[in-house]
Amino acid sequence: MKEMKLFLGPQHPGMHGNASVHMYVDGDIIKRAFLLPGMLHRGFEKGMERHSWINNISLIPRVCVVEPDINEMAFAMGAETLAGITVPERAHYIRMIILELARLSIHLMSYGGLGSPTGLYTLMYHAHTDRNTILNIFEKITGHRVYHQYIIPGGVRKDLPIGIEEDIHAFLDDLENRYEEYRDLGINNPTVLARITDTIPLPAEVVWELGVTGIGMRSAVNKPYDLRKVMPYARYDKIDFEVPVADYSDAKSRVDCKLQEVIQSISIIRQCLKLIPEGDVRVPLGRGQSMRWTIPKGHVYSVVESSRGEFGYFMVSNGGVNPYRVGVRGASYPQGLLGIEKYLPGTRLDDAALWVDTMGVCSPEIDR
Amino acid sequence: MTNSMSNVKMVSEIIENSYKVLKKEVISQYQVSFEVNKDDVHSILTLLKTSGWIQLSYLSAIDWPEENEFELVYIVFNWDKAVHIQIRTRLNRENPVMNSILPIFPGCKYYERETHEFFGIKFPGNPGHEKQLILEEWDDIPPLRKDFDPRAYSDRKFVKREYSNDFVNLNGEKSKQIAREERKEKIIKVRKGGRK
Amino acid sequence: MLSTKFTKLSKEEVDRKWWEIGDFFRRNSLWMLMYCTGCCAIELPPAMTSAYDMERLGMGPMATPRQADVLLVTGYLSLKTLRRLIYTYEQMSEPKYVVGIGSCTINGGIYHDSHAVINQLNRYVPVDVYVAGCMPNTEAVMNGFVDLMGLIKTKKANGWKDYHARNEWYMANQKAALGEVKVHDEFHE
Ligand code: SF4
Repeated sequence: MKEMKLFLGPQHPGMHGNASVHMYVDGDIIKRAFLLPGMLHRGFEKGMERHSWINNISLIPRVCVVEPDINEMAFAMGAETLAGITVPERAHYIRMIILELARLSIHLMSYGGLGSPTGLYTLMYHAHTDRNTILNIFEKITGHRVYHQYIIPGGVRKDLPIGIEEDIHAFLDDLENRYEEYRDLGINNPTVLARITDTIPLPAEVVWELGVTGIGMRSAVNKPYDLRKVMPYARYDKIDFEVPVADYSDAKSRVDCKLQEVIQSISIIRQCLKLIPEGDVRVPLGRGQSMRWTIPKGHVYSVVESSRGEFGYFMVSNGGVNPYRVGVRGASYPQGLLGIEKYLPGTRLDDAALWVDTMGVCSPEIDR
Repeated sequence: MTNSMSNVKMVSEIIENSYKVLKKEVISQYQVSFEVNKDDVHSILTLLKTSGWIQLSYLSAIDWPEENEFELVYIVFNWDKAVHIQIRTRLNRENPVMNSILPIFPGCKYYERETHEFFGIKFPGNPGHEKQLILEEWDDIPPLRKDFDPRAYSDRKFVKREYSNDFVNLNGEKSKQIAREERKEKIIKVRKGGRK
Repeated sequence: MLSTKFTKLSKEEVDRKWWEIGDFFRRNSLWMLMYCTGCCAIELPPAMTSAYDMERLGMGPMATPRQADVLLVTGYLSLKTLRRLIYTYEQMSEPKYVVGIGSCTINGGIYHDSHAVINQLNRYVPVDVYVAGCMPNTEAVMNGFVDLMGLIKTKKANGWKDYHARNEWYMANQKAALGEVKVHDEFHE
C-alpha cells in the first residue's frame, strides 16, 4: 500500500496546544511519526538573560502555560541555592499548598482532555468546571487566575488571605465526594475502558532510553521514582504520602495513576493546612534594593516534580544583576520529541492523541 | 535520603580516581559538578551510566565570548542514589565540534539538535542534527550566542505599534498625571501650613 | 383582493437586505475556530464549559476552518505560527472575523523585543476586536465576543473586506516578516 502523509495539528481539536505531529500512515497504521515543535517559540532563554533576576519573576510562569507554579518554584529554588537563602518555614508550607493545588488542576484538565480523543465530552465539562473552582481559589490567594507570580526567591509574595482554608477544605471535600463519580464517568466507563486498555504501551526497558520521567516512568518501572520522595524539596519529607505506581504502562494505567495522585494531593494539602506554622513568609532580598539584587557566581540545576515528570531550570550566574544563562528542561521533552518518533510507529492513527494526552505533552515548554 | 552526602562523596571518588578533574563544586546535598577535559567526557559518561546514572536530564551550552569558549553541560541523574551530576567541558568558540553522545544516551538526539540550532555547535555522529528544529527559515547568527541582539533583530523585522498620544481618556476622569500634580501641590500646601 | 403591487428594488438594495438578514442570523450563531496560538488560550476552556458557558451567547467551537466564522488569535504569534495562521485565515469562508486576545497581539506585550514573536497582528491579518490584558480573564474574553456581535450588528466588522481592498499591503507585510509565506514541511526528512 502507499504511504500517505497526515498532519495532527497545529489546528486540530485533538491536539493539546500548538504543535504538530506529522504522520506517514498506511491504512490507519502509523509507519513513521515526528513532532514538529517550535510554533510557540518566543525566545525565552534569551529573554531571561536580558532581564534582571527580579524582573524574571514575571517572565517565568509563561514558560509552561498549564502549570505555571512549578516554573516559579524551580526558579526560586535555584536562586536560593546560589544565593544561600533560607526560606521561612511558613513559606515552605504555602508553597506546597500552591504546588499541590496546581497539580490537582492540571490532573483534572488532562483527565478532562481524555474526553476529546475518546469522544466523551461530559467528562471534559465536569473536569473543567472543577478546575475553574481551583482557579478562583488561586485568584483569592494571589490575585490572578492563571499566572500567579506568587512563589518568589526568598519565600512567597504575600501571606495567605484570612479564611482561605475554608474555601480549600470545601473544594477538597467536594472533589473527594465526587471522586468515585469521576472514575465511573471516565476510567470505569466501558466505552472508554475498551478504548484505553492496552493502547500505546510503554515498555520498562525503553523508559531509560528515552529519558521519560513522571507518571510515564513510574507506571512502567513500578518504583516510586518521584522527586518529592527521592530528593525532597520544600517540606515534602515531613508529609506522609504515597506515590502511585503500576507494573504495566498503557493508557489506562497512566490515567489510573493520575487519578490516584489526585487523592494523594488532596491528602497533602490537608496535612499542610494542619501543619502550617505561623511566622514570616518572605525574607527581603538585596537589603531593600531588590531591583539590583545580585547572586554569587555559580552553576545550578534545580528540579521540581511536575505532573509530567522532572522539570528543571539550569541557571548560571556571573555575579551580575541579570542571570547569565537560563536553560529550561521541559518535562515533556523526551516523551514529546523522541517518544513520538520511536513509539508511535506501529500504533493506530487515532491513538496518537491518546499518547499526547496520557503522557502529557506540553508544547510551550518544549519550544520555550 | 539519609546518606545523600555520602552519595556525593561516592561520585567524587568514582570520577576523581580515574580522570583529571579541573574543578569540582558541591552545589547542594543532591548535586555536584565537575569540570573536565573535552576528551574525557565520553568515557566519564559511560562510566557513570554503568554505575547507575542512567538518565540524561539535560544537555546544553553556555556562551563565554570573552574567553572565546563555549561551555557544554551534561546533567545525569540516578534515581536510586539521588544525585544530579553536572559534567562540564569547554570548547573553542571558533570551530565548536563535539562528538555526539548518541551511542551512550539515545535521549540526547534532540537536545544536541537544539544546541546546534541555538549555538552553532556541531555534533558529528548525530544524524540530522544540522536541520532546523524550533526555528524556521532563520536568517541570522544562532540566537542564543551572546553577540546576537534580539531587540535589533526585532526592530528590523517587526514593526512596532505607534501610539499618537499616551492615553485615551474615556470617561472624563482626570488623568493620572494631573491628579498626581494636584496631590503634590496639596502636600506642599499642607507642609507650609496652609500659607501660600 | 390584496394588492400584490410593490416597488421593484434595485439589485444592490436586495443584496443589502439579504446581508442584513444574514448578519442577524450570523451574529446569533457564531462558530469559533479552536486554534490555540498562545497562552491566552488557557482561559478558553472555562469560557466554553459550564463555568461560563459560551453557548448562551450562541457561540460554539468548530473544528475546521472552512465552517468557522471567527478566528481567535489567542496571544503571541511566533513566525512559525503566523505562517500557518495565514493559511488558516485564507481557508475560512467569508464573512470571517478575527478576535485578537491578549496584549501580545496588540503590541507584542511581554515579548516585544523577542526575536521570534511579531509585534502587531493587524499588519498581517485584519483584526476586528482586541481584548486587552495579560492574560485577560474569562469575563473579558466573553465581553470581547459580545463586542464582536455588536460590531456585526452595526456593520462595522469589515476586516475581511479590508483584506480584499488592501490585499497588496497585507501581502507585502507578510513577505517582509516571513520571507516566503509558503510552508516547507521538510524539517525531518
Ligand atoms: S498576552 Fe500574556 S497571557 Fe496572553 S499570550 Fe501574551 S504573554 Fe501570554
